[in-house]
Amino acid sequence: MIDDLAMVLASSVRLTVPLAFAACGEYIAERAGTINISVEAMMLGGAFNAVWGASLTGSASFGLVFGMLAGLVIGFVHAQFSHRLSVNTYVVGLALNALVLGLTSFLLDSVDLTGHQVDALNIPVLSDLPLLGPVLFAHRWPAYLLVGVIPLVWWLVQRSRFGLELRAAGENPQSADVTGIDVRRRRRQSVLLCGVLAGLGGAYLAVGEVGAFNQNMTAGRGFVVIAAVIFGGWTLRGTMAGCLVFGAADAMRLALPALGVHLNSQLLIAAPYLLALLTMMFLAKTHRQPAALGAPFVRGIV
Amino acid sequence: MRPSPQASDTAVTTPDPRPRAGDDQPTAPSVLSAPIVQLLGIGKRFGAVRACEDVSLRVQAGEIHGLLGENGAGKSTLMKILLGLVVPDTGRILLRGEPATITDPSAAAAHGISMVHQHFSLVDRLSVWENVVLGDRGRVDRDRARTLVREVGRRYGLEVDPDACVEDLSTGQRQRVEIVKCLRRDPGVLILDEPTSVLTLEESRELFTVLRRVVADEGKAVILISHKLDEIVHATDRVTIMRQGRVVARRATADTDVRSLAREMVGRELSKWTAASAVGALDALIEPGTGEPTGGTALLDVREPAAAPAPDPRPPAGEVRLRISDAHASTTDRRPLLRGLTLEVRAGEILGLAGVEGNGQAALGDLLSSLLPLSAGRVEVCGAPVVAGRPGAMHAAGVGIVPEDRHVSGCVLDMSVAENLVLADLSSVTSKGLLSRRRMAARARQLIEEFEIATPSPDTPMRQLSGGNQQKVVLARELAAQPKVLVAAQPTRGLDIGAIEYMTERLHAAARSGIAVLLLSTELGEILTLSHRVAVIHRGAVVGEMDRADVDTERLGLLMGGQAA
Amino acid sequence: MTPTLISERAPAVAAPPADPRRRPRLADLGTPLLYAASLSTALVLAGLLIALVGQSPWDAASAMYDGSLADGAAIGQSIDQAAPLLLVAIGSVIAARAGIFNIGQEGQLLVGASVGAAIALFTPGPGPLVLILALLGAAVGGALWAAIAALLFYWRGVAVVISTLLLIFVANQAVSYAVNSPSLLREKAVAGQVTTSQTDMLAESVWLPRIGEYPDFNIGAGIFIALVLAVGTSVVLVRSRLGFRVRMLGLNPKAAHRAGVGAVLIGGGALLASGAFAGLAGGVMLTGSGHRMQDGFADNVGFDGLLVALVARDKPMLAVPVALFFGALRAGGGFLSATGVPRYIVAVVTALLVLATVFPAAYAEVRRRRTAGA
Repeated sequence: MIDDLAMVLASSVRLTVPLAFAACGEYIAERAGTINISVEAMMLGGAFNAVWGASLTGSASFGLVFGMLAGLVIGFVHAQFSHRLSVNTYVVGLALNALVLGLTSFLLDSVDLTGHQVDALNIPVLSDLPLLGPVLFAHRWPAYLLVGVIPLVWWLVQRSRFGLELRAAGENPQSADVTGIDVRRRRRQSVLLCGVLAGLGGAYLAVGEVGAFNQNMTAGRGFVVIAAVIFGGWTLRGTMAGCLVFGAADAMRLALPALGVHLNSQLLIAAPYLLALLTMMFLAKTHRQPAALGAPFVRGIV
Repeated sequence: MRPSPQASDTAVTTPDPRPRAGDDQPTAPSVLSAPIVQLLGIGKRFGAVRACEDVSLRVQAGEIHGLLGENGAGKSTLMKILLGLVVPDTGRILLRGEPATITDPSAAAAHGISMVHQHFSLVDRLSVWENVVLGDRGRVDRDRARTLVREVGRRYGLEVDPDACVEDLSTGQRQRVEIVKCLRRDPGVLILDEPTSVLTLEESRELFTVLRRVVADEGKAVILISHKLDEIVHATDRVTIMRQGRVVARRATADTDVRSLAREMVGRELSKWTAASAVGALDALIEPGTGEPTGGTALLDVREPAAAPAPDPRPPAGEVRLRISDAHASTTDRRPLLRGLTLEVRAGEILGLAGVEGNGQAALGDLLSSLLPLSAGRVEVCGAPVVAGRPGAMHAAGVGIVPEDRHVSGCVLDMSVAENLVLADLSSVTSKGLLSRRRMAARARQLIEEFEIATPSPDTPMRQLSGGNQQKVVLARELAAQPKVLVAAQPTRGLDIGAIEYMTERLHAAARSGIAVLLLSTELGEILTLSHRVAVIHRGAVVGEMDRADVDTERLGLLMGGQAA
Repeated sequence: MTPTLISERAPAVAAPPADPRRRPRLADLGTPLLYAASLSTALVLAGLLIALVGQSPWDAASAMYDGSLADGAAIGQSIDQAAPLLLVAIGSVIAARAGIFNIGQEGQLLVGASVGAAIALFTPGPGPLVLILALLGAAVGGALWAAIAALLFYWRGVAVVISTLLLIFVANQAVSYAVNSPSLLREKAVAGQVTTSQTDMLAESVWLPRIGEYPDFNIGAGIFIALVLAVGTSVVLVRSRLGFRVRMLGLNPKAAHRAGVGAVLIGGGALLASGAFAGLAGGVMLTGSGHRMQDGFADNVGFDGLLVALVARDKPMLAVPVALFFGALRAGGGFLSATGVPRYIVAVVTALLVLATVFPAAYAEVRRRRTAGA
């Protein structure tokens, strides 16, 4: 019983990790006022590039770097289109999602990939704890990066000068502009950061958990990430909680049949989206979301 | 190409033969040094519009320098240039005698130039201290920022809680934060753009006390942008007057008075009433024998007294066309907008609703545009109740409106002029559900001619028209629908004098034809020029009402400031 | 008051009045050139990509040509592929013109197709009548799925873009559930056969009629439905009072409200209409080509149709050639397998073309703003 529980919980955490990396990025982007639906493309591109990079270099850890680079490049394209050329961010996101899905599927059939996986790191002593050990202290090593990334993102957004300007750009870009903040640049930077983190999330999925790439590997996880940010009410804590809930739903879908429990798997897959919709229903009128979310910034338009 | 300071300074033609005393006679010791700000031969065009041409301005440390001019005279553009928000086509900027290039607001801040914006530059969801340090460089130090807000507040009498969230503050408090935000960077020059338009009289007085302290105790310079003569006369040391993008005069405030300032600001001969309305010279309007322009007290030479559109002293007392009783409304986040507003407008009269901006005028405009539902109270047009907030209900009931911001609800910029002229009256050009282009064009041509709308063709996009002509399109459409009631909200804001005159005449004509006209304006001058009756709105309710003949500015001012009188 | 819509267009704003004399300017002449350059860049990039993986772009292009334009059957195939794309695109145009950005067509299409399948499978009666009912049902299904987003928006202020996006995934799972449940749409067991998660094949009497016979030119009736609706939509939007109101709402919701255009009625109506068109597209795919619901039924038609509308810049008549072009790409993609070039290159080309078409307008706008000096 304890073992089953530990297995489901450990699997929940494992499935949460890629979401959490990407959600940190999406959280930054949304606080700057840009909804990045290309986060799906960033994750998928990150996953593919990680495996490709690992195949080229023979090192799964280098693969992670390749994955982050892919996210960065996609973020760069998105940022240039949406926050330099002022193309509607959803249009860019849709096009990029289609592009990256097509491109990775195309390349998957065209280049040789070999399986690579980063090493597991069992924390001595702690990983031997009952229940907690396997759940928290026996993962592939990049998972522990989250311990640093989450506080760093929090500090960046809530305490740093950059974060203050980022939030101002997301809440009231006109005011931020007259105060001397380059709103578009901040938004571009936020999308780039999102790209790096989402790329890392995708890369972790590929070379961390699975060890290979398959077609449309992320399968909508990017949208789950967006759902998590919404579910979290645009706070980092809430966003991470959302990732955990959605990761757990995914884990249960995979684990429950083996345990003989029957829960509708379609419902579990749809749960993140339903929960996000419910959250928005109840939060939409409390104005918790960044006021300028999704609105393009053009100087002089109030 | 690059004239010397002196050459450029003297090159400015002033219509006044007197020596420019204010420029040369220092009023404070600090003036002996180079001017803290000097703009030389600044020129800027936006497309075909000439916003500034060969403008020169000198501001000394230790003075409050007024920048006076009508709407559209180029004051704001000039200040945007100084702040690095607009890049000038020609000209130079000298700061303390040193040439400077200012490319963006942070460069301006680095040079010690800081602006208190007309429309606040605060981010609602951030706290006061976060707003204050926004735009700085370097690490964010919360404790230091808080201390600083308290310190600056204490020093200038601008106390405000550093941890309060800006969205919870009142308008006056927000302006305080805005000023603290500027002052804490210890700027050499503080620019205020129409700072009193959102303030009560009392708040305005406090503001000027603070400003006086800023220049007197710390040797800073303040540039006060305004088109209100009273304000300029009472609060400034020297004044530069702009008209149509040029500097037309420089004066020491002590050597001048409201009338000569008004003359220089307006520049051309106009009917007394329009001019007075445009510049807000109240005393010219409040004189014995109101409504009878008398030569001796005329603000300007009145060539055609008969043409002056003075309100008829006693309009025919028609039936009540619009009655709003005990109207209550609030925003979606429960901030009250209207608190028991009650008013009546009769056929054939113009009721002017005076008040400081932000006291519910916008809400009233929205209410009469069907954009705001009421939580209590009722609206009746010609005795029949109208459902507030239901799409098109007010229009159907016969309420026409020239809204405060025509771009928001008055017109559709990306539709053609012809389409804009039929927006609300589609039935007149529709048959079997299809629009008749022929009838639409015919109607457009007729209205364009009747209302003297300057447009290349009826198919021109509304966006390409000038502000005055856009306003004419809105007015034409509303009057063509033969309304029972016409609401004009800030109808002349942002228009040039010619367009103001046009608007004034049209409103009078509308009243004469028996329409009940409700005029919402923050310009007391405009109210006094146009209205037969004057009511005052304060905090979402009408707090006083009087006939035009009985108006006394003292009492009006008190009412607008919320004092019982 | 209704919350502000997230609109695909820039909000109605005050731009400095342009000088009417400005009309013929070099920059305006440059725009078509920019389009040409931008589109060529996209195609060259795709070609390079193929070359990069060691295949021949020319072989790929010629295979695409064979599959889409070479003979009557290929042209018919392209047109068949274009029909649902065009339907989805018209719906997107309607919503966009009303100022609403619906990006959930993929889900609305699926739900519509499922409702259509349920009607087509379980309604007794003469074939043509059932077919019409199935198509109508598909439209209603799509509209109802969009109605959830409309309800969330007008009742709770949830942004339409987000809700329609999230509802795609809910729709995926809901349809998957239906197709997996023997009590709902899953195919009926036949002795000795294993059932899979798909519906039964539709009876041939409820298939959309086809004109022509393979291997000659042959097309389904779907394109005629789509064309008639495209023309109708265009007329309604441009010439009718209703269309005027829709456009007014999209361009300036407040002015529209004042003039008596209810955002809930007209805007919500436009959103439902766009859902109905997506649902109808699903119905056409079901009765016209697939004849049964199964995994991957939607095949990105919802997203691609939305992209057609974007490329056509919200003009229904312009959407016709764009849809035909995208349809040809899809049809040609089917022939790629023989060349060794993965068919996914079609998706890459499609996405690149979308980016290539949004670029010139945006670039021109940025340049205009820069020269305006603000």
